[in-house]
Amino acid sequence: MPQLIEPPAAFDSTQSEAAERLRARLQQIERDSGARALGVAVYDTATGFSFRYNAERWFHAASTIKLAILLGVYSAIHRGWLLPHSRLHVRNRFMSAVNGAPFRVAPDRDANAAVHTALGKMLRISDLARHMIATSSNLATNLLLDLVGLDTAQQSLAEFSIDGVDIRRGVEDERAFERGINNRVTAAGLVDLLHVIADRAAFSRELSDQMLELLHGQEFRSGIPARLPAAVRVAHKTGEISTVAHDAGVVYPPDRKPYVIAVLTEWSPEGSGRSATIAEISHLVFEMLTSADGHGR
Amino acid sequence: MGDSHHFPLEVVDGLRLEKAVRDALRPGAVVHDDDGRARRLPRFFYEIPSWDHAMRLQLTPDFALWEFIQTDVREAEALRAFPRYVPCAVTLLAPSLQRFRDAVGTFVHIAANGGYRSPSHGVSGNASPHAWATAVNIYRVGDTYLDDREAIERYAAIARAALPGVWTRPFGWGRGLTDDHLHLDLGYVVSIPREAPADPAGVEPEVALAC
Repeated sequence: MPQLIEPPAAFDSTQSEAAERLRARLQQIERDSGARALGVAVYDTATGFSFRYNAERWFHAASTIKLAILLGVYSAIHRGWLLPHSRLHVRNRFMSAVNGAPFRVAPDRDANAAVHTALGKMLRISDLARHMIATSSNLATNLLLDLVGLDTAQQSLAEFSIDGVDIRRGVEDERAFERGINNRVTAAGLVDLLHVIADRAAFSRELSDQMLELLHGQEFRSGIPARLPAAVRVAHKTGEISTVAHDAGVVYPPDRKPYVIAVLTEWSPEGSGRSATIAEISHLVFEMLTSADGHGR
Repeated sequence: MGDSHHFPLEVVDGLRLEKAVRDALRPGAVVHDDDGRARRLPRFFYEIPSWDHAMRLQLTPDFALWEFIQTDVREAEALRAFPRYVPCAVTLLAPSLQRFRDAVGTFVHIAANGGYRSPSHGVSGNASPHAWATAVNIYRVGDTYLDDREAIERYAAIARAALPGVWTRPFGWGRGLTDDHLHLDLGYVVSIPREAPADPAGVEPEVALAC
């Protein structure tokens, strides 16, 4: 883990009051939104301020697990096992974590068609990573995880002492899902992971920058960025299945150091207003950290 | 190369290549198939100077050399840079595939890693005929993806009719079966072109290496 910045001495009382107001608002949102559960974690690199709300609660990871796979891929690049321009055969055939039985990623359940059109051919590792993050391609995700291996992804998390991200398999593994073998995350875990990248401490500054660039290319923007000013850049990864909706990223307000945020939400399958809830929480955090009487400017 | 022979690639003895390449190609080494039968890997290879050569070398009217040597990052590192090497039997495989192509009457697409791949490739199994350059994995014929029983069995039947003695991997989801491509191969055929360097009779590859 990177060194945390010690908060300034005059920091505590004002920020604590703001944090308590935010906590109360989150409790209200949790009651009013219909969400089954919220988990929020924030780390401000400008001040060292940390905020946590149910941040240790485990959620189904959905596509936020792709952050852990991204870390694993760049670990392999860092170790010289891969190059970003290395090419990989695009094949839609994977082995279940349950019994090794083969399965495929159904094209109609994948947000990205581009990787499916390359079946039988080869794509660059960097392009697969971009598809995995920017449009959340499940096929690209499983190809990359197959290549680097589950162990590599897990060891990368351990290398940075990230306890709140539990990767156990690829995506779209229905047999594993039915047996309850799922990837899990906590809000704190995702913030820890993104904090390493935001601090440019993930393997090297250059590789961290490459990961951030991929995260800046995110095309699903109805969560964290949706209610932020247009000048604010966000490098993030969303995740959604029938019962969860998440967003986790690094927020770059103009003229200010970035902060890291993860908003995890759990819903009944028919629950609505997921993205709006995440966007509202993101907006509240932004207001708290950047308000005129706030710190870190 | 004599005047009567204009094939543009040089034949090389794999046992005389540099060590890293030799270790990856394993020329003349004995490996075992899925049933435990010993098979000897090819010893003689065509040397491909560049990707441009592979692109320009048309082996048959519809198949160029590059289509048989597309391998991904799981190929041995020493074999990912040019010059690259392909067993000489690739010149027997290509006309066979052309005959299959003529039978289906449309484009035949060889998958990445689905032509020649070395015995050191990450997905090469026991004595895979891909390491002899006598096998292809076809993932698409025309606009048809070969990813279900109907398509795979239909084109496997065409291959068997067009190519006497060809082996097609049965459809299925388990080991030794195929569910997302058509695999066909000519078996463990080794080709030694006339211009190949001397191969001392009776000398085992390990001995030849020491000479």
